[in-house]
Amino acid sequence: MRVAEALREWLDVRGRSLEYVSFAARRATGLFLAAYLLVHMVDISVLVLGEQAYNSLLSVFHGPLGLAFDAVLVAALSLHGALGLCSAVLESGRGLRWRKQLYLAAWLAGAAVAAATIAVILYAW
Amino acid sequence: MEWRLLVKRWKEGWGEPRYQEYVVDADPDTSVLDALEKAWLGDRSLVFEHACHHGVCGACGMVINGAERLACITRLGDVAVGRTVVVEPLRGFPVVSDLAVDKSRMFRASAEVSPATLEPAPGRGAEGIPGRAAVRPEKLLDCLECGICYSACPIARTMENYMGPGALALASKTLELTGDWGRVAPALERRGVWSCHAAFECSVRCPTGFDPGGLIMVLRGRALRRGGVG
Repeated sequence: MRVAEALREWLDVRGRSLEYVSFAARRATGLFLAAYLLVHMVDISVLVLGEQAYNSLLSVFHGPLGLAFDAVLVAALSLHGALGLCSAVLESGRGLRWRKQLYLAAWLAGAAVAAATIAVILYAW
Repeated sequence: MEWRLLVKRWKEGWGEPRYQEYVVDADPDTSVLDALEKAWLGDRSLVFEHACHHGVCGACGMVINGAERLACITRLGDVAVGRTVVVEPLRGFPVVSDLAVDKSRMFRASAEVSPATLEPAPGRGAEGIPGRAAVRPEKLLDCLECGICYSACPIARTMENYMGPGALALASKTLELTGDWGRVAPALERRGVWSCHAAFECSVRCPTGFDPGGLIMVLRGRALRRGGVG
């Protein structure tokens, strides 16, 4: 099966349950974070070009664009972490009776952590 | 009252599937299966599977307005959007013709774990007639082998050798009933319980509440506590 086809199958959440949407969100944020890690490895590699080159790259991230990217990154990290923890509990055969409530709690916890972290970033900006 | 059925059709030799419209006259309580049969009266080339018409045989699993359901126990009035119902074949299986799919992969996977078929009837103690030994009543397992769980599962749809929710749930029940780990060994391979990623759509869509996702996690939990993987 082609990657694009698999992605479409995983991420099509039309008419699906909270549990399925949580699965799709885990996959989507996981892919986003993996892509971010790759980009991050490239951007820190700019250091080999010298201090000035690295500083001018950093200045790009100090603007509103960087702030928006950081917010998305934090939201993806929080959600991926919260849903991942919930999934780990369920996948070990525990809490199955409260599956839906656990996923709901994970969404709320992920959103709360993301909101708090974004508030700290905004305050520091 | 008129209803518009949009049926996804494909036959051998066709390049791409296409949607065909059928207009049927029925009341809102009519099942999607009965509506399909009305459409079939006007087009005998329309292919779909059915048998019992009351949610027991599992033959008429289809994707109805985007969600997997048994057509025989799904009423037009409950699922139609503006009197339109889109009917598609189950996903995750090769299409044989129109709405009929080949569920061989599910039956092969089930056969690998030689599943149990009976379990003690809930809430019933030993019963008998005077002069005879009392026996504990049993019932068939709730899995209809309808294939809905395979169609709903994002992993079964994208990983061809995954054993699938139905077969793994039967393996979990078999272990619960027999305690025989050897019998469920295939379910503990990579293509078994470890490939499930907890989307639980199988359990949400299961028409009998057999809860394949939950049963998979129960088996996985038991395997983890036993300390043996594979």
